[in-house]
Amino acid sequence: MAAPSLTPERRAATRQGPGRWSPRRLRRKTGTWGLFALMLLVAVVMLYPFWYIIDNAFRSGTQFDRQSGHSLGGWRELFANLPVAGQMLNSTLVCVAAIAIILLVSTTSGFAFAKLRYRGSGIVFLLVVSALMVPLQSIIIPEYINLAKLNLTSSYLGAILVYAALGTPFATFLMATYYRGISDELIEAAIIDGLGYERTFVQIALPLSLPAIATITVLQFIQIWDDLLVGLLFLPPGQRTITAGLATLSAGRTTSIPALMAGSLISAVPAIVVYLIFQRHLVKGLTLGMGK
Amino acid sequence: MSRIELDAVTKQYPDGTTAVRALDLAVSDGELLVLVGPSGCGKTTALRMIAGLEDITSGTISIDGRPVNDVEPRHRDIAMVFQSYALYPHLSVYDNMAFSLKYRKTGKSEIKKRVAEAARILELEPYLERKPRQLSGGQRQRVAMGRAIVRQPRAFLMDEPLSNLDAKLRVQMRAEIAQLQRGLGTTTIYVTHDQTEAMTLGTRVAVISGGVLQQVAPPGELYRRPANLFVASFIGSPAMNLIDARFERSDGGPVVTFGEHRLAVPQSVLAAHPALDRHLGGEIVLGIRPEHLYDPALGRPADPESVISLAIRLREELGSEVHAHAAIGRAAHVDQATADDVHSLATLVARMDPRTEIAEGQTAAVAVDTAELHFFDKESGASLRG
Repeated sequence: MAAPSLTPERRAATRQGPGRWSPRRLRRKTGTWGLFALMLLVAVVMLYPFWYIIDNAFRSGTQFDRQSGHSLGGWRELFANLPVAGQMLNSTLVCVAAIAIILLVSTTSGFAFAKLRYRGSGIVFLLVVSALMVPLQSIIIPEYINLAKLNLTSSYLGAILVYAALGTPFATFLMATYYRGISDELIEAAIIDGLGYERTFVQIALPLSLPAIATITVLQFIQIWDDLLVGLLFLPPGQRTITAGLATLSAGRTTSIPALMAGSLISAVPAIVVYLIFQRHLVKGLTLGMGK
Repeated sequence: MSRIELDAVTKQYPDGTTAVRALDLAVSDGELLVLVGPSGCGKTTALRMIAGLEDITSGTISIDGRPVNDVEPRHRDIAMVFQSYALYPHLSVYDNMAFSLKYRKTGKSEIKKRVAEAARILELEPYLERKPRQLSGGQRQRVAMGRAIVRQPRAFLMDEPLSNLDAKLRVQMRAEIAQLQRGLGTTTIYVTHDQTEAMTLGTRVAVISGGVLQQVAPPGELYRRPANLFVASFIGSPAMNLIDARFERSDGGPVVTFGEHRLAVPQSVLAAHPALDRHLGGEIVLGIRPEHLYDPALGRPADPESVISLAIRLREELGSEVHAHAAIGRAAHVDQATADDVHSLATLVARMDPRTEIAEGQTAAVAVDTAELHFFDKESGASLRG
């Protein structure tokens, strides 16, 4: 017996038939539009501050007060009052050095925690991770006293060490989790192939952990670049980062909002660029260990 | 080429678990020895100790007469094929195969030559530039083999290398590994839990249970002359029927009885089981391979003394053969923990000619090839064969 089949006309009729606006389909469509509306609302809330910064960065003080007209007044004021290029360079230097230390420590210790068996490794790992729960504000004063005693508050080094110390626990946790996801057999294969643990780490583990390294780089870059407290406390005026520099703009009796907006805009650019470059890896890295 | 010897090798973990207990094993030059046993029996631990990936608690492992207990894995000159293949995902097939040679300071032209040769043997030539993720399971398995071959090591260690493949590919790769090993003549230790794989691949097969070596013998001997109840039940599919029975002497000569059944024991069998005499009038475990139960109606003559009447519970058609399941008095225990279950589910399986007309629900006359009976000590489980 031949299987029943629809003629092309009947198929078309079925497509346009009463099923098209069935209550179930209608509910689904309404749901989709509702979701879009909600997402649009969230997008507006998220993007408005950016628009506010861009809009007001291109105004002078009087134009800002009247909220009409655009000019480069804010930018002129910014460059007149702040060594923008120098402070951007300071920010870059502190960021790069701190991230380099964080990566060096977290990749090697993460590999050791994940793949080497030694007595007490679990407790040491717990201690490192527990450092995540200590808020910066609670240790900043003793930290400052310690570094001042070591005469490290007059150069980049103090701030770099503080940033590295703050970023390392989370980075170590992330790296250890990532390395635990790499099969032990892969490491053992390399050992049998003739490599020691050091070369196995460099040749096998490190290239495979690039997504995790990218994640740490982006997260730490954004955090260190945007940080104000450490920058203000641990860096001498001549070596301030751009974020700490911008804060000084509003330290006087009056604050020029357009200059501050222009400075914020210029300061946000590197973080956005780094994020855009690594965002694919970032998403991959943050969802690590969620499943196979 | 090399000889590997294990002398009273024991592995005990800090929590007190003994994974391998006083393992004695000698693998001769060019031999393919298969370690087989159920999951968690210690076979992989034994292999990892030979590789140097696990420390040895006591005993000695020697390669070519030289103890290697304290030798680093990389200096043992052995190659290992892992269950997950463990291919380096960021390297191409070529680089995966060449990897170890580069670190052993082999010349570039030699590396190229060896990789090309391995790729030719394993039919991997078109895939040399690909990454492992772009290969099928079978191809990845071949790359793992290739990585071992190019090293030209003293021995291959293989840890369940076929368990991730589907059934059809597994059979194909099994044949390829056997051919390859014979062609290269490299000493190989192969771990598997699959007894078919063990029987088809091994020059000799070592059966391990609970960390203890049960028997090591060529596959045929293992099947025909199992050393104890564990080997008898583990090797062979369907498994050997093991039945609690009594060994007695009647007017007509020695007999073995179980439930209401009674089988005459031929003189040849008695001669092969000299220890059986000691159990006269006592309980023993009787072993009958499923293929040694047959339908006498199909023409093969049967001695009336060796025909038993069985209530057929189930008839399984396999095309080339029929499995008939029958209820009997009592099945023997192999594992104490499940002894009660085994007793309550006492079933005897017969592997019969597909032409048999024995049907479910019927009480059928089934002949036993009594020349092929096995007897085991009920207490120790050891075979009563001399």
